Amino acid sequence: MADARKHHPLVDATEPNLMEDVFPYSLPPRILFDGPVVEVIDGRPVEFDFGSVRHRPIVVTDTTFRDGQQARPPYTPDQMVRIYDLLARLSGPQGVVRQTEFFLYTRSDREALDRCRALGRRYPECTGWIRAVKGDFRLVREAGLAETGMLTSCSDYHIFRKLNFPSRKACIDSYCEVVAAAFEAGVRPRCHMEDVTRADIDGFVLPFVDRLMAMSRQVPERLSVKIRLCDTMGFGLGHPGAALPRSVPKLIYKLNRECGVPSERLEWHGHNDFHKVHANAATAWLYGCDAVNATLFGFGERTGNPPLEGAVFEYIALKGDLCGVDTTAVTELAEYMRAIGLPIPDNYPLAGRAFNVTRAGIHAGGLRQDERIYNIFDTERLLGRPPRVAITDKSGADGVTLWVNAFFGLKGQERLNKIRVHKLARWVIDQYELGGRLTPISDEELAEKTRELMPEYWQKYKTASPPA
Amino acid sequence: MASVLERVVAVTARVLRLDPAEIRPEHSFAADLGAESVQSIELVAMFEEEFGIDMDEQEALSVETVGAAAEYIAGVCRKQGIPTEP
Repeated sequence: MADARKHHPLVDATEPNLMEDVFPYSLPPRILFDGPVVEVIDGRPVEFDFGSVRHRPIVVTDTTFRDGQQARPPYTPDQMVRIYDLLARLSGPQGVVRQTEFFLYTRSDREALDRCRALGRRYPECTGWIRAVKGDFRLVREAGLAETGMLTSCSDYHIFRKLNFPSRKACIDSYCEVVAAAFEAGVRPRCHMEDVTRADIDGFVLPFVDRLMAMSRQVPERLSVKIRLCDTMGFGLGHPGAALPRSVPKLIYKLNRECGVPSERLEWHGHNDFHKVHANAATAWLYGCDAVNATLFGFGERTGNPPLEGAVFEYIALKGDLCGVDTTAVTELAEYMRAIGLPIPDNYPLAGRAFNVTRAGIHAGGLRQDERIYNIFDTERLLGRPPRVAITDKSGADGVTLWVNAFFGLKGQERLNKIRVHKLARWVIDQYELGGRLTPISDEELAEKTRELMPEYWQKYKTASPPA
Repeated sequence: MASVLERVVAVTARVLRLDPAEIRPEHSFAADLGAESVQSIELVAMFEEEFGIDMDEQEALSVETVGAAAEYIAGVCRKQGIPTEP
């Protein structure tokens, strides 16, 4: 590698450069690109313009009711209607969360679908999910759906070991019969390329997709096949230079540019077995796949899917605009999902109870000086969740002061300083140093002590409302 | 009436539970007298109470020694029109 060393002179400044073009605070930090990216594919350099994603019609699609539901006891129709309604709010008028898919097999599946559609929301559009069985199109037709997903497993693990086809050709013939049945039923098939990151790309996937594209050319555009690339086992890699079949960039390129599947008919569906699920989904967007399939809070089969709320924030960061998304719906969705038994860890990004709660006094000190120092963006505006402190032995007077100001709802010049809060700070420290306490102090305990130790402020700020 | 320094020493001794005779103007609250973070805040709060003044949090907490505290408090008292001498 060539010697790249060079001198880097200090750019002295007396005013901070807060880089607000990248970190606007009113929005998630923007994702900006310096220039094209080159990936070597089949020995040839291929250029990708990631910056074009800002203008491409990328979307998020949802599988909370399908993959998400496969990982838990079934949702009741009431629960699905509530979740769907909140998804519609999150999606916004531009349909950032474009579609969501439903099982169609039971009476309860149909009831949930019908009641969600009866809400009259434009987005997310409702689609189905069936086995690759011709007879199942009756269910799709009866439900009046325009599109359905169907399993078309791609790896030899599935073709030979699970589905017991005698050959790859027999497998493709069988899948194509079902696709033809979909066309005949007037339903757009979305072929779910199960286990594609463990499949023979040149020997099976690309010939299959070529055939699907040829079939699609014979039908109206509204019926033409969509392709969902299913990284069923989480084997996908976004790393530049990674080899097929695991390379997300190369998979997208081959389907998009070699097979000619338009970006708007390509979708990525990932799993999180190796902690790569969100990054792989974002990578798929950048390399030319317009749809990223996700579940609320990443809850899905085994380790789960790309978290839908993470994809929405990635979308906003890429676009540099909210695009009509109501991000506060994420908080309501999290509260609702917790209420119906979905475990969301406290430290879970964007939605966990403690995602923007600091326990360190030194961080609380920073937050008191300028909230932006330790808060990722304006979480109060975008999620209805101002940054908070959890009071422990590490919180210090800064943490206690931040808590008190949040508790009294004081902002700007009104905020109390550490001097005014010293009695409460002393009580907190004594809990640990003299009392041997090992647990955090609850908001309720602190509220009670605030009333006792700061009666003048309690009188001033809390007389109109009961303790929190 | 005791001087500002004497009153600062008395408050410091009370908050940090020290013998006033051991406290000298050049003593650092933290390094010499062992004031911990919350005790520094308690000292400022008690100085405010003792002298009947309001102090700027950052300025007050940046004062390091007993003597400097007496000088700083005398200045605040003058600004706020609080008498300190008999």
